[in-house]
Amino acid sequence: MSSTKRIWMDAADLRQDTEAIKARESEFPQELAIDQVLGDANFNGAHTGRRDFLKFLGFSLGAATLAACETPVIKSIPYVTKPEEITPGVANWYASTFYDGQDFASILVKTREGRPIHIKGNPQFGINRNPALPKGVVNARINSSVLSLYDNERLKVPYSREGRSTWADADKAITDGLNAAIAADKRIVVLTNTVISPSTNAAIAALKARYSTVEHVQHDTISYSGVTGANLKSFGKRVFPSYDFTKADAVVSLDADFLSSWGSTTEYTWQYASRRNPDGAMNKHFQVEARMSITGANADARIPVKPSEIPFAVIALHDAIAKKSGGVSVGGGMDSAELNQAADALWNARGRSLVVCGSNDEGVQVLVNSINSMLGNYGSTIDLDNHTYFFQGDDAVAAQLVKDMNAGAIGAVLMAGVNPAYSLSNAAGFKSGLSKVGLSVSFSRYADETASLCNWICPDNHYLESWGDFMPKVGQYALAQPVIGKLFDTRSWQESVLKWSGSEAKWNDFIKQTWQANLAAHSAGASFDSVWNQSLHDGVLASHTMPATPVAFAGDLGTAAAAAKQAANGASEWELSLYATEAIGDGQHANNPWLQEMPDPLTKITWDNYVCMAGSDLMRLADGVMRDPEDALKVGEQSPALQVKVTAGTSEIVLPAIFSPGQKPGTIAIALGYGRGANGEKVGKAACTTDHNGVFGSVGRNAYPFTSLRNGSVSYDAVNVSLTATGETYPVAITQTHLTHMDRHSIVRETSVGVYKAGDRNAYNKPHTLPVHEDVNEDGVIDSRDRKPVAAFDLWAEHPVEGVGHRWGLSIDLNSCIGCGACITACNSENNISVVGKDEVRRSREMHWLRLDRYYSSDTKWHEGREAGESKISLYTRMEEPSERPTVFFMPVMCQHCNHAPCETVCPVAATTHSNEGLNQMVYNRCIGTRYCANNCPYKVRRFNWFNYVSDKFGEVNPAWDDLGRMVLNPDVTVRARGVIEKCSMCVQNIQAGKLAAKKAGTPVKDGSIETACSAACGTGAIIFGDLNDKQSMVRGKAEGDRSYHMLEEIGVKPNVNYLVKVRNTEAETA
Amino acid sequence: MLPRLFLPPDFRDLLPSNPLGMPLPACLSRRSIRSIRTAFALILSLSLSAAQAQPADAALYASGEKLFKGNCASCHKVDSKMTGPALRGAKVKWEGKGDLYAWVKNSQAYLKTGNELAVKIWDEYKPTIMTPVALTNEEIDAIFYYVDNWAPPVADTPKPPTGEPTDQGSNNWLWLLVLALLFLIVGLSLSGVKRSLANAVSEAEGKGTLPETSRMQRFRAWAWEHKVFMSFVGLFITVWVILKLWDAAWVIGVYGGDEVPHYKPEQPILFNHTLHAGKANKGNLAINCQYCHSSAEKSKHAGIPSVNVCMNCHKAVSTGRTEAGTKEIKKIHQHAGWDPEKGAFTGQEEPVRWVKVHNLPDHAYFSHATHVSVGKLECQECHGPIDEQMDVAEQWAPLTMKWCITCHNEREVKMAGNGYYDEVMARLNGDTILGHGELKKYLEDGKITVKELGGWECAKCHY
Repeated sequence: MSSTKRIWMDAADLRQDTEAIKARESEFPQELAIDQVLGDANFNGAHTGRRDFLKFLGFSLGAATLAACETPVIKSIPYVTKPEEITPGVANWYASTFYDGQDFASILVKTREGRPIHIKGNPQFGINRNPALPKGVVNARINSSVLSLYDNERLKVPYSREGRSTWADADKAITDGLNAAIAADKRIVVLTNTVISPSTNAAIAALKARYSTVEHVQHDTISYSGVTGANLKSFGKRVFPSYDFTKADAVVSLDADFLSSWGSTTEYTWQYASRRNPDGAMNKHFQVEARMSITGANADARIPVKPSEIPFAVIALHDAIAKKSGGVSVGGGMDSAELNQAADALWNARGRSLVVCGSNDEGVQVLVNSINSMLGNYGSTIDLDNHTYFFQGDDAVAAQLVKDMNAGAIGAVLMAGVNPAYSLSNAAGFKSGLSKVGLSVSFSRYADETASLCNWICPDNHYLESWGDFMPKVGQYALAQPVIGKLFDTRSWQESVLKWSGSEAKWNDFIKQTWQANLAAHSAGASFDSVWNQSLHDGVLASHTMPATPVAFAGDLGTAAAAAKQAANGASEWELSLYATEAIGDGQHANNPWLQEMPDPLTKITWDNYVCMAGSDLMRLADGVMRDPEDALKVGEQSPALQVKVTAGTSEIVLPAIFSPGQKPGTIAIALGYGRGANGEKVGKAACTTDHNGVFGSVGRNAYPFTSLRNGSVSYDAVNVSLTATGETYPVAITQTHLTHMDRHSIVRETSVGVYKAGDRNAYNKPHTLPVHEDVNEDGVIDSRDRKPVAAFDLWAEHPVEGVGHRWGLSIDLNSCIGCGACITACNSENNISVVGKDEVRRSREMHWLRLDRYYSSDTKWHEGREAGESKISLYTRMEEPSERPTVFFMPVMCQHCNHAPCETVCPVAATTHSNEGLNQMVYNRCIGTRYCANNCPYKVRRFNWFNYVSDKFGEVNPAWDDLGRMVLNPDVTVRARGVIEKCSMCVQNIQAGKLAAKKAGTPVKDGSIETACSAACGTGAIIFGDLNDKQSMVRGKAEGDRSYHMLEEIGVKPNVNYLVKVRNTEAETA
Repeated sequence: MLPRLFLPPDFRDLLPSNPLGMPLPACLSRRSIRSIRTAFALILSLSLSAAQAQPADAALYASGEKLFKGNCASCHKVDSKMTGPALRGAKVKWEGKGDLYAWVKNSQAYLKTGNELAVKIWDEYKPTIMTPVALTNEEIDAIFYYVDNWAPPVADTPKPPTGEPTDQGSNNWLWLLVLALLFLIVGLSLSGVKRSLANAVSEAEGKGTLPETSRMQRFRAWAWEHKVFMSFVGLFITVWVILKLWDAAWVIGVYGGDEVPHYKPEQPILFNHTLHAGKANKGNLAINCQYCHSSAEKSKHAGIPSVNVCMNCHKAVSTGRTEAGTKEIKKIHQHAGWDPEKGAFTGQEEPVRWVKVHNLPDHAYFSHATHVSVGKLECQECHGPIDEQMDVAEQWAPLTMKWCITCHNEREVKMAGNGYYDEVMARLNGDTILGHGELKKYLEDGKITVKELGGWECAKCHY
């Protein structure tokens, strides 16, 4: 800050006259003498005559008309030298890789004119590829990550404590700091999330070669230390194994939400879904858990237990299997008939079964290993030889590091991919330790909770701007390549490390060198350049697999069981389990507005975390606080949520309490990853917003302080929790307030695999019929038995759809849909869907074209109730109540593109019409906003633009407001203005593009060559898009299958979207 | 290495003579061309129009011309050096010194034989490699026959520029104005005379002079006397004004078509489309539109060429046919950072900030690729005679929705030989011999139009 030159705007500025400067800040000064002006007698007398008024009116009108006639001058600036691969108007796709410590996926990035705008899974390569479709699995966090590239709150230059700095200064200061640490003989710690990049490891090794005390500590924000530690104790390998759900006939998951947040979810989802096809060999899935998780919602049998009971459930399972296999029993397990059923199922499928457990306790995991070992699952469903490289963090090492930092033993700490000041249970200890470290450097892209405490922030590139390599599993490699130039003056953190180690190598050259050195052994014959180029093109190199070796369980069961049983120590009235949501995960993407606005698949709540509770518990808590305790269950626009204070140990937070059917009574659950930027740190747009009281603050509250270190690893349960109602209420933004489908089989249909396999369609998917006045059954009498299917009725002249060109349709398999919601964010990204913020979602004004309906089952059935003589009103009320142990349906609902669309007939300006390809078209430029169509839509899929969302008012949440965020918009889709209705177009831009490609190639449209954003994002194959007029197409096959039905078939709107009946494997084991 | 120009046989011959049913010269004649441009066009037409001397073997000459323009003209001129040497006299030059055919077909391969003449030419023109061409010896003979018999264009008698009629139009207005003034003067004088006469009559009758009234008062009195007539006149004027406003409202925001002056913004470089893309027989270069607008067949945008495309030719061509032309070429060199003196790039690049001529509203999706690659439209069908009568580009068509859907309604889908449409037809034919009911409806007028296959549906263009 050597500049002495002062520049001032006026005298007030020069004098630093604070009054005057402050007054200048407001464009329209408050102290404007309005009263004085209005009080003026002359002014009172002044008036504008009719004639003058008309003159002014005429003049303004004329002036406006003239001004409007001006031809807009639009510049069109071509390249000087056009890159060969870029054609303006044509999208390029690049293979790359997403890895952030919690998710890994091989992805394809769509770029338009050099801007990445959309992400989908790589359908050809990678461990997240579902080969049957083929499609690559990505979750919402992954396909939303393209938006975080354009976050204006990213750091644009390196920062020191003094403020903005330069890379030259940073390099010098940090090199000096590292040398000082060496001189003082102190340790230099590189603290990262799990590094699966061979080149990054090599770069850290290079740093170690220069500075002898360098030590690499890996720390996972959500720890799997107990799993890997147990594998070390059981098999001598500290690894996270590869699981193969495709081979598992029976799956028992104990609190492991493996479809959403536990382990390598992008792999498990497609593997699991491939075994949920009722026409194939369906697996049998038991879920043992306290909170209703996405995985639990998909299970065939869900056994609710408290977190403290999980170890005892594991022991029960273990002993049941041990009894059958002749193994050693541990004793002291839970007594549960349901667990015995699970054990039977496992034993019957031994060698083809799988037990996974979400507990991070080493003792519990050793017991789980023992179960899998007794079942002979190693080598079939579990692979330790070709293990993953995920989750290498060791909680004990991280805890020791905090101690060492406080002891002053650490000279320098370099941090990448971690945010310990936010996510450690001992965050306070970490913060005090950090202040005792001589040099602290963060590579964070934001001045987040940890980075803002560091001496230096050397901002890393966004992953879409970076090179990278990955080794997710033994012999599996992946590459990331930049798809856009650096937006800001940032630098790959590995390049910084290389620089400080004295190397001038560019990061991409370094990766190439590392590959060249490492690949020699595995790529005999082929030249390196060809292997490299092919790998870069594919994004993936599957190099080799290790042969299976015999696995012998060598764990100490007694010690493990003793340790496991400690989990129940101190259990009190309330038990808490912490979890990661589908949208926010561990919290590093909390600044992504698409994710914040994506409704939680189960609770349907946006923009908040909350306390999930059982209904009975919540009503008990609300008693005396809310006028009617039942209001606490009916959270929505009309009823705010009950606010509760959760206390565990020394931590307490206040959160709204939400009724979550299926939650084990006596337990509560809170999502991690919220409450970012609580102390005013700039952690990115949308992590903090203005709440209903006008207070700007973080979205949700941080629940990481509730984690604790137990048996050497972080525990995500707390068994000694107290819970009190604060007496306040809190409005939450929820997109679906009704909980059950009220026994309406025309919405969701369900059956069991036994009924389905029996082959009688009428037993589970009876077509809706209407009585007609003709003798249909030819029995000589016209009576109520003379019925015709709804399809035979036409209220209007039918649209010619069959045989006329294409008829686009979607088929949605309720069996394959696991409820992940990746389709919602994919649709956001493809169709420029506005983010509207919590306040507008609360008013049911969310703009999502695709919603994921979630229904809980109710214990009350209409027919049973009527037969028992119950009154209709009480029946309806009871049907609204979800079951204590509900089954769950997920149902993606978008515009059904009805061939008899009720919306089309009511539009007064023909803004919504039917195409001869079966699409229900919405024309924004015709729409005048009467909203008749939305009223008349039986599926409620039409959305009205209440505001100009691309405006200041929504600048806080809507990325399209600022110039940078706008770069993510898809240029092929209109950004809708205020006052028009919008809805799913079935990605007509992709249809048109696909048809054009076919016409140019002179071939018929190939089935699968056109995808909607949702179908492309659906790696489990639940959403299939295609041409219903193509008799060979997959979608036609599904539509004609026995499981196919139309939602609300009885109203006869003839949708082009069909659903497939959900089939659960609920029949008891017979073998 | 320079990309090879793709110059097909004169593609204008493939064009329907009157594609949109609009009288082309008629609508052009209504354009007003400013005097400077008129002069510019005059100079051009003077310098470009050429009369050809008739060679002995007209057929051979014609085929040679075609081949020359298709294969050689992008790098060779007949008489002067360009990227490659002048071709006139090459045949004589090579006689007995080497194999001209082999040299033409694959110069790099022939160079390896070490032929003296070849090495000499290579030394002069390297490092630009001539791409091998697939020509037969007969074709090469034809090219050289054409080259050796070619005569430089002789200035034609200048034709009156097309802008002339509009100038006459503005003269007419002037005359009308003068006439109107004369009428006014005559009318006023007459009214004076009438009043004097009336006064005289009145005096003669002994009634004294008429009261002094203003003209307005007298007009009012007269109008009151002729109430019915005046109300008809008033009604007529009101209706006329409303109709005019109505008409005017239809063309708000319309910058092309028959009813409004065409939008022709000032461009940073006065690129002459006629010169580059105009017909060869008029002395123009006849470069295929898509040589520069290369993305028209693959993208929604036709694309404005990047400067490096200009430089493919303008590395070699630094002088224009006129001084003004040379000035414009200099601008290209500046943008590309090309130093013609040194023959090297300086690296001082600056993109050209063209003004977009054809602007569609954001909510309308238009794809060039569909129309060019699938619909097989010629550029001129929508962009007008850009290769014949437009120097700097202008918006020819109105680009209104009416204009779009009128064409979609009339135009037959080009189905022949396209497997995509074979499938569409197969579905329309269905399983019955009579075919699908829809197909019969479509074929009532004997053709399947774009509209019938959905070309009038909203979501074909609006999404």
